[in-house]
Amino acid sequence: MTQDGTRHVPTYCYQCVAGPDLLTVKVIDGVATEVEPNFCAADRHPGGGKVCVKAYGLVQKTYNPHRVRSPMKRTNPNKGVDQDPGFVPIGWDEAFDLITEKLTRVRADGLTDASGYPRLAVSFGGGGTPQSYMGTFPAFLAAWGPVDMGFGSGQGVKCYHSEHLYGEFWHRAFTVSPDTPLCDYLISCGANVEASGGVVGVWRHANARARGMKRVQVEPHLSVTGACSAEWVPIRPKTDAAFLYALLHVLLHGSPRERLDVEFLAKHTASPYLVGSSGYYLRDRTSRKPLLWDTRSGAAVAYDTPGIVEALEGHFEADAIEVGADDEVLAEGRLSGETAFSKLLMHMASYTPEWAEAICDVPAKTMRRVAREFLDHARVGEFIDIDGVRMPYRPVAVSLGKTVNNGPGGFECVWARTMLAALVGGLEVPGGTLGTTVRLNRQVPSRVDSILAGPDGFMEYPLNPTDKARWSPNPNIRNAYRTMVPLAANGPWSQALGPTHFSWMFLDETPKGLPRVTLPDVWFVYRTNPVISFWDTPDIAEKIARFPFIVAFAYTHDETNHSADILLPEATDLESLQLIRIGGSKFVEQFWHCQGFALRQPVVATQGDARDFTAIATELAQRTGILDKYNAAINRGAAGVPLKGTHWDVALTPDIAHSPETIWDAVCRAASAELTDGQQSNGLDWWREHGLATRPFSQAKWYLYPALAAQGLRFELPYQERLLRVGTELGRRLHEHDMHWWDGQLAEYQGLPKCDDHGAVWVASLVGHGGTAEAYPFWLLTARSMQYAWGANVGMQLIREVADNVAGHRGVIVNTQAAARLGIGDGDMVEIATPQRSVRGRAVLRQGIRPDTLLLIGQFDHWATPFSKDFGVPSMNSLTSMSLDLTDATGSSADIVRVRLAPMGEAAR
Amino acid sequence: MTRWAMVADLRRCVGCQTCTAACRHANATPPGVQWRRVLDVEMGEYPDVKRAFVPVGCQHCDDPPCLDVCPTTATKKRADGIVTIDYDLCIGCAYCAVACPYQARYKTMRPTFAYGRAMENETKRRDDARLAVATKCTFCVERIDAGVAQGLTPGVDPEATPACVNSCITQTLAFGDLDDAQSNVSQLLRENRHFRMHEELGTGPGFYYLWDAADDGQATD
Amino acid sequence: MQRSPRSSKTREKHPARAEDPYGPDPWQQKSWDARAAANFIFGGMGSGLIVFAVLSGAAGAPLPVLLLAGLALVGFGLFSVALEIGRPLRALNVFRNPRTSWMAREAWTALALVPATLAAAAGVPGCDGLALVLAFVFVYCQARMLLAAKGIPAWREPLLLPLLIMTGMAEGGGMLLIANWQASVGGALVVLFAACVLARGLLWIAYRRRANAALAPRAAAALDRAGRVLLLAGTLLPALLVAAGALSGVGSVPLLQALAGVAAAAAGAYFKYTLVIHAGFNQGFALPRFPVRGARG
Repeated sequence: MTQDGTRHVPTYCYQCVAGPDLLTVKVIDGVATEVEPNFCAADRHPGGGKVCVKAYGLVQKTYNPHRVRSPMKRTNPNKGVDQDPGFVPIGWDEAFDLITEKLTRVRADGLTDASGYPRLAVSFGGGGTPQSYMGTFPAFLAAWGPVDMGFGSGQGVKCYHSEHLYGEFWHRAFTVSPDTPLCDYLISCGANVEASGGVVGVWRHANARARGMKRVQVEPHLSVTGACSAEWVPIRPKTDAAFLYALLHVLLHGSPRERLDVEFLAKHTASPYLVGSSGYYLRDRTSRKPLLWDTRSGAAVAYDTPGIVEALEGHFEADAIEVGADDEVLAEGRLSGETAFSKLLMHMASYTPEWAEAICDVPAKTMRRVAREFLDHARVGEFIDIDGVRMPYRPVAVSLGKTVNNGPGGFECVWARTMLAALVGGLEVPGGTLGTTVRLNRQVPSRVDSILAGPDGFMEYPLNPTDKARWSPNPNIRNAYRTMVPLAANGPWSQALGPTHFSWMFLDETPKGLPRVTLPDVWFVYRTNPVISFWDTPDIAEKIARFPFIVAFAYTHDETNHSADILLPEATDLESLQLIRIGGSKFVEQFWHCQGFALRQPVVATQGDARDFTAIATELAQRTGILDKYNAAINRGAAGVPLKGTHWDVALTPDIAHSPETIWDAVCRAASAELTDGQQSNGLDWWREHGLATRPFSQAKWYLYPALAAQGLRFELPYQERLLRVGTELGRRLHEHDMHWWDGQLAEYQGLPKCDDHGAVWVASLVGHGGTAEAYPFWLLTARSMQYAWGANVGMQLIREVADNVAGHRGVIVNTQAAARLGIGDGDMVEIATPQRSVRGRAVLRQGIRPDTLLLIGQFDHWATPFSKDFGVPSMNSLTSMSLDLTDATGSSADIVRVRLAPMGEAAR
Repeated sequence: MTRWAMVADLRRCVGCQTCTAACRHANATPPGVQWRRVLDVEMGEYPDVKRAFVPVGCQHCDDPPCLDVCPTTATKKRADGIVTIDYDLCIGCAYCAVACPYQARYKTMRPTFAYGRAMENETKRRDDARLAVATKCTFCVERIDAGVAQGLTPGVDPEATPACVNSCITQTLAFGDLDDAQSNVSQLLRENRHFRMHEELGTGPGFYYLWDAADDGQATD
Repeated sequence: MQRSPRSSKTREKHPARAEDPYGPDPWQQKSWDARAAANFIFGGMGSGLIVFAVLSGAAGAPLPVLLLAGLALVGFGLFSVALEIGRPLRALNVFRNPRTSWMAREAWTALALVPATLAAAAGVPGCDGLALVLAFVFVYCQARMLLAAKGIPAWREPLLLPLLIMTGMAEGGGMLLIANWQASVGGALVVLFAACVLARGLLWIAYRRRANAALAPRAAAALDRAGRVLLLAGTLLPALLVAAGALSGVGSVPLLQALAGVAAAAAGAYFKYTLVIHAGFNQGFALPRFPVRGARG
């Protein structure tokens, strides 16, 4: 501290998934006044140590007069949008008494209900960001037992769902990023990295632009990312798959074969695997290993035979066995097969640019040119040395936005994107298309270390079982991810990556075969507001009002905690204590040269009667009689670091309620020890002063290719034999239980995905609701706003003020000419309607949007949250209807809806 | 001599408004008063549309119109090019505000707070001297002066650099001494094509916009 | 069809939110409102009246009354604008920068104009001429004030200088005619008035043509509305009335001239009000070059 009472306190901001940002807060006489970058971290943070605009809202967040400053209880037993909750302040003791009473009863009644679902449910928001703020609450949940974390609040429609599941399956890519620092040519289909990539994404892309990288933005509207791209291709919404398929067609059928990375395809993918007539690999009769044709020996051999030269194309005969679903032998003997690559060639033959033009409204010549440019920039055959490791250098990539890779059509887009990378050998190599982190596979600090050898020469993947012995129609939680979505796996994040809208949809009518979906006895809600952020939000609001007991960790009153029974004010970002891991590689574009930990610490005194989340978790554990398990969970690493390791033991005594400072001091010491292999054991005081500590992380670990090659593993592309098998098995299991409502989704399990106009799915849904494409001619889309995305910061005046400088934050963006045809002027009130619902807002006229498209940035439409309830800006979430028709096989749907637009009459004005 | 100047690389800017927010923090300006802001500019007709993000604020002109019109001498120009306002002299006539071709000047008549009444941080930073007078970007002159006094280099050392530049997440904004041929800004201007806003007015802005690399490593305009 | 309960709520106010646009297109300045406009209206009118009063040599209405009325108009204008300044208690600082500021020069001129006009009204020899000169300088200063506002294209056009001076004279002449609504003033003054009115009309046309390229569409539209009034009610009508007076019987001449004065003064006032309040659009922001993003092609 300086003599004038000024301090600069290091901490982190993780309000969005693109974090963390490392910052300092200037504190004058105990009052937080300014946020600044942590300049000391500039050389370690991949965004130059800079801080996102959202972090500048934290000072207002701390002192916001609208904060809930003490625990509150509901006095009005009736719940609903039109009900005043009648919240009254209570003490912490009373609040804990009320909660403990419910939790104790749950434990007494059994942790699961008659349907087999957990009686306790918990929902978090923001792509995992609450984890960086909820202290040791995960330890409480781990100690508790079964918890349903599958009530979605945005997952599936607001995330990158197909990418999450298929990305992890194919290349350990929970999300996918271009290797921006080395990339020269990027096709960005709706990926709005300048809004969603955080400081690091924005920083890296600005540098890439300065370097001369060409980015082609394929998107129906001229987003911030489109604005900052070399070229904007205004594509018809939800037709990106056709665009990408056309590019694949040009690469496969319009370019000399040698311009592709033939060696990569032959050695590092399943392209040479022979596919039999039933669509499954031809296998060695004894070892059951997939066969390929060795041109050297002129024979079919197992894929891992040393010294072979794989035939990439052709039909071959082999003594083989073809094994289908449920280990069913489909054929045996002298069998004919063709290479997966040959199948791919034939499959893609009809997807010409001219075919695509009719669907996606992009000129065929543009697609041919883009494909040619992609190939021209790919540098096939070149190598680069990264930290002493020689790797192929392929500076071309494709990135996909959320609506592109969510819902019907998402699989096709993700597959086509990954195939574009594979065809030029640009998958998981410098300059190319990379995964960022793993969330479904075994979670380890480096995703490279998550690679385990799996079947058939591919990586292991923890698919949920579909075989008769292990598949169950009785899910562990309400959204039935284990039952319905093999790719969702069963890790800590899987519950949130299933069809999270099912938990809500099935409350009214559970489809045949699943146990009736029930209301949880107790629902904890933290940093999430599904009544605003999910789809079909009016319906969500109505359903939440039925929940018997809701405990909301509440910053302010909001639309979800409007139905809560207890509000608990937790010490917010600048008031509480937590240590998190930083560095390595992580979404959205966080690729570091180091890894380590950063501390979030109380910068100022806690406002009102708010409490540190760790203190709340400890109290809950103690009162519910699970303190020993809670401490044990912390000792195992539930707070981010195991407290006992090879070189250290700072484990907590299990049967004592420890203070947050004691707990985090131990975590800090363990983190120090982990970083230094036991050399140091710096406690909380050291971390408070320094804020972070790291150790080097090799750039070579950004890329999967070397580790895969070293293990002799191949990327599971292009053919999806494994998915075809599990899909077929899943279908059988479902049908065995007379469950036919998932049949449409089962069609997604294909060896090679077919492409169509995926927008037609939404038009069909419109027609099903009584509309017609002509009467509802607009596609309504949404887009992230950098100022708001994931931030739960909609009540921050500063954020509102600066966001208003960016076009579209004040209303619905309409193409100027389209608006003129409807008699709509800039700023006019308009009504956006589906056959079922309508919203109102002001028109923002722009040239940078297709005439058939409307855009509502963000998701406002608040009616309870102080300050933001006065915005007067509508949200598409009020218009979208949850439905199975719009759900894909991964359990996701997309942020898109067909609407009509009309000026509001004079009376309405 | 020294001539402090700002350079904004429009190729880099994404309109994130981080500089705007950082400026609001550093200078404790009231709601709506954005000494630094970033415009969202669209040009053309669908489908041939371009969009750019343009940081604006006081341009610290060589020949500032605000300086000449000020009846009180509250507006001054320092030898290093920074245009300042003496809040104790200013009568709040707003003549400078209409004279400025860059709409950089604000006048706030009464205390204004984010949520109606003052929060702790607003009370702590409250400065009534800035009420009812003209205010604008100062290039964070106090940081520059304090930094220079400590031997630091504005534009290089964060402690001596304007808050907007420190905060910029795209390296759009650069700050430095135009009179120093080796400074970051001199180098940027040499290596890139640039323009200044409303150059035809002859105000000589100390704020340059880069838009392309110079073909030969030397800027031509 | 069901309307979302939230969106159907009417919300017209957005607290703590900047409602005014801020670029890139030009927008109407909000720094100066009607109080500032009043200074230009009454300052020009009053100055013009002082000029015409001195030139009239007290033919018709008594000179002291005319001079004091002119001074009162100037004073009212200055009082109005004083209500707009943020720190009225330090208003005297307005005198600190006559070296470059036309506002300071206007203040100094006003400071001299007051005693000179009072002295002239009191009949101190030679002061009427001084008052005339200072009144003219005062209106000149006002015109230069607007000219120096480089941020406003409609104001910085050089032809605004003679236009504003001339409208001040036409308004002053008009006020003189109004004051003499019962007794005709000398023919030379009427001719001078008519000349000012006609010159103002011509200057308006020239100004409008010269300013056109720099004007925002809405500023141009506002100016054109005021310009039509200036030409029809402020030029043609007074000219016709004066001409009609000259051709008509003696009894109705003063009244027709007074009506001509009303038309000339009112049209001038409306023009200046429009100039400040509706045509005061700034230049906005425009990019002569759009940035290259990554690859050039």
